[in-house]
Amino acid sequence: MDGIIEIITQFAAQEPAIFALIIGIIGAAVLSAVVNVGAMLVIWADRKVMSDFCNRFGPNRVGGRWGILQLGADAIKLFTKEDVIPAGVDKGVYVWAPIIASAGTMLVAAAIPFGALHIGGKNYPLVVANMDISAFYVEAALSIMSIAVFMAGYSSNNKYSILGGFRGVARMIAYEVPMGVCVISVAVMAHSLNLVEIVESQTVWYAFAQPLGFIIFIIALVTDLGRVPFDQSEAEEEIICGYSTEYSGIRWGLLYFQEYNNFLLGSILLTLLFLGGWHGPIIPIPILDMISPMIWLLMKVIIVIWFIILIRASLFRLRIDQVTDLGWKWMLPLSLLNLGWAVLIGSYFA
Amino acid sequence: MTNASEVLSSIQSAFPGAVLDSRVESDRRLWATIDSKKILDVCKHLTAKLDFDHYSGSAGVDWMARNEMEVVEIMTSHGAHQVVAMLKVKTPRDNPSVPSLVPLYWNANWYEREIWEMLGINMEGHPELYPLLLSDPLVGSWPWRKDFKGYPDLTTGERAVAITTPEGYTDYYFPPTQAEVEAGTVVAERPKYPTFLEREEREIKSDSEMIMHLGPQHAMVPGPFLLDILVEGERVKKAFLDIGYIHKGIEKIMENRSWLQGITYTDRMCYVASLTNNECYCGAVEKILGLEVPERAQYIRVILEELSRIQSHLIGTGEFLTLIAGVGFAPWQYMIIDRERIISLIESVTGARLTHTFVRFGGVRNDLPEGFAEQCRKDLPYMKSRIEEFIDLFAQDPIYHARMENIGSISPETGKRLGCSGPVLRATGVAYDMRKEDPYLVYPELDFKIITGTRGDSADRIDVRLREMLESIHIIEQCLDKIPSGPIKTEAKIPKKVPAGEAYYRVEDPRGEMGMYVISDGGDKPYRVKVRGPFYATFQTLTPLLEGVYIADAVAIAGSMDGCPSESDR
Repeated sequence: MDGIIEIITQFAAQEPAIFALIIGIIGAAVLSAVVNVGAMLVIWADRKVMSDFCNRFGPNRVGGRWGILQLGADAIKLFTKEDVIPAGVDKGVYVWAPIIASAGTMLVAAAIPFGALHIGGKNYPLVVANMDISAFYVEAALSIMSIAVFMAGYSSNNKYSILGGFRGVARMIAYEVPMGVCVISVAVMAHSLNLVEIVESQTVWYAFAQPLGFIIFIIALVTDLGRVPFDQSEAEEEIICGYSTEYSGIRWGLLYFQEYNNFLLGSILLTLLFLGGWHGPIIPIPILDMISPMIWLLMKVIIVIWFIILIRASLFRLRIDQVTDLGWKWMLPLSLLNLGWAVLIGSYFA
Repeated sequence: MTNASEVLSSIQSAFPGAVLDSRVESDRRLWATIDSKKILDVCKHLTAKLDFDHYSGSAGVDWMARNEMEVVEIMTSHGAHQVVAMLKVKTPRDNPSVPSLVPLYWNANWYEREIWEMLGINMEGHPELYPLLLSDPLVGSWPWRKDFKGYPDLTTGERAVAITTPEGYTDYYFPPTQAEVEAGTVVAERPKYPTFLEREEREIKSDSEMIMHLGPQHAMVPGPFLLDILVEGERVKKAFLDIGYIHKGIEKIMENRSWLQGITYTDRMCYVASLTNNECYCGAVEKILGLEVPERAQYIRVILEELSRIQSHLIGTGEFLTLIAGVGFAPWQYMIIDRERIISLIESVTGARLTHTFVRFGGVRNDLPEGFAEQCRKDLPYMKSRIEEFIDLFAQDPIYHARMENIGSISPETGKRLGCSGPVLRATGVAYDMRKEDPYLVYPELDFKIITGTRGDSADRIDVRLREMLESIHIIEQCLDKIPSGPIKTEAKIPKKVPAGEAYYRVEDPRGEMGMYVISDGGDKPYRVKVRGPFYATFQTLTPLLEGVYIADAVAIAGSMDGCPSESDR
């Protein structure tokens, strides 16, 4: 064991650039594995929890009575399907849209701390890129998905797709602004844009310190994720499948999967910004005490995901003009109000 | 109160000589043969002077033996009085032609197009004689004529021209005969129903507009019908509607089956409301036969038809809600689960879940099983609490109000003029319900209200349906209390051959006014069965309602009609 560590340190000292590259590749691999497997579990949860709300069974054949392997079966089906590129599409844009969507999601994942290890009374955050402006960066990277949506809708040469693309962009513009203002409000209170520091500074959860901002952020997040009541860009009963109408096989799978990746990352972001992240009492059991911050974060994230699925089961879909109205006429002024509140409270307690 | 003989004498005094033949069947039914030159004036007179503001449809009949054809205009009123005037217009079979009523009644359009394409009766003055249910090449074979022997049949077979479609199928085209061209029945250069590309070329004025399909294959449609919308951005500027995608020719099939076999076909017209369809056909035949239905059978029919109304409304509401909420909407699943209880109740009596074939001439097929009343008394209060819960749920949902209120509003006047009925018309505030208007079975003895709305929008339509279910539960509970014991079938022997005669019988379908016009020529088969379907009438009103709304609203309006294209196509 000591020998291996010695070799690695020697190597790091001799070739720092190559060492950084190797560490980066390993980090990226672990990250994408964690995020994608997590998103698969979110899809499974979406179907299973959804069916529970609807008084149905949901997937219950593949992988035991809980249907836990259903996603694996679906993924195999999607991978082995014929890759159809319809005639008349703008091929370059069409092909790149799913890839840009997944790249954007991974960019988000890079800066999000997935928890912390509690060793010797100190928290060591698990984050790939611990940058100073990570909250701002994550917020910006989340909207890359909308660009991919518009690329997919625009290139498909389909009427439903183009409408879906337009709706997606209109919605994004209307809701990115209040969402950004909410992130700024949090940063003002935490005196930092670093997500780790924001979490560490939450002695009182920001959901209680600025409830208005919390509500606005949830609504804007659901909009960003494109879920009911804000799923106009893929409203099945109006425009078939929206921007992804012309996609099939693994390309569709990639596009669809990124929504759930975003769902998972967005829920984590909400937890980090407003619900105290990994804060919680340390479990006084060996080993468990080390990962107890992660357990707390996971529990909070699961509750957030459950709540967003519950919204889908119980609300109607808004019309696109009502969505933009709500965004510009209500959410933006209210988020500015919240910013003022955050500045007042933040400077009082500073 | 106006009655049939007063209407007849009013026509006779206003237009001497216009009434060629007449029969006053009862206070509520007037049969009159009107001179075809006077029919427009008579209809104008009826509407202006005698409150006949409801053009309820028309039927074409081919009297081959008499060498003449008949168009029967069904005129009635939206509640001002209860007279149904069946005005017949006769025309020779060689050159059949009658004046069109479209200039007077907007909703005559589809009925007359249907008569033209099926029987080849020229509608003078009809603005757009396109085929409605048939495809373009089939026009000219006149399938509802009595000498039609199949496709291509013996009479038109000689002129059928075989063409090969691009897909490689053999199709037939019927060039019009010289006589038909001269008579104007078929214009040699008649306008074809426009194809999609032609329509795009004709209607699209600027680059920002496009025509989008909302059917026949779309997640929105309850069954196949063509709904194209011309959109500019998110706004619908114009809508184009066409039906006939599941035309099954049920009326023609019934002419070739025995009287009893016809009941099974009425099931298939609309499988969520098959009991009312059964009732309508059997009621009309009972009228011709002059049968008295035993009281117990009448109560059983009412119970089952009201149960059927509840399940139809539940699926109609639930399905519509998924259109504006997405398929994951949980209350939709709850409605389907609740509906299962009602279906089980019906199934325990009829043995079938959807297509019951339960009503018989002069009675019902079998009696209520043991324990049915107890099961009903157990399930109905539960249903009541659930429906009240649904009403509360939607009343407190702000998104529901934002999406549904003032969407697709119809004023009472427009509703009457467009000829819609059922919950769609009642939502506008017009209390028009066949159970009160033209009472059948034991409905006069039962206590129930007609549910009406105020605004006539999508929210009101849902509200009317939900509250109507409560009313239906109230009716069933009364029936369970009042139902007498006794025979469930009439003692009279039902003959294989029904004596010659005709009858028009109306029932309140879950979707509105359903009428069947049945003619017997004394044979063992119906001579003609005309179904006046409620959704057929409501469907026509869709196009004007869709102009100027958002795409999402177009879905909300079309869905709130509780569509059943299977019934409108027949």
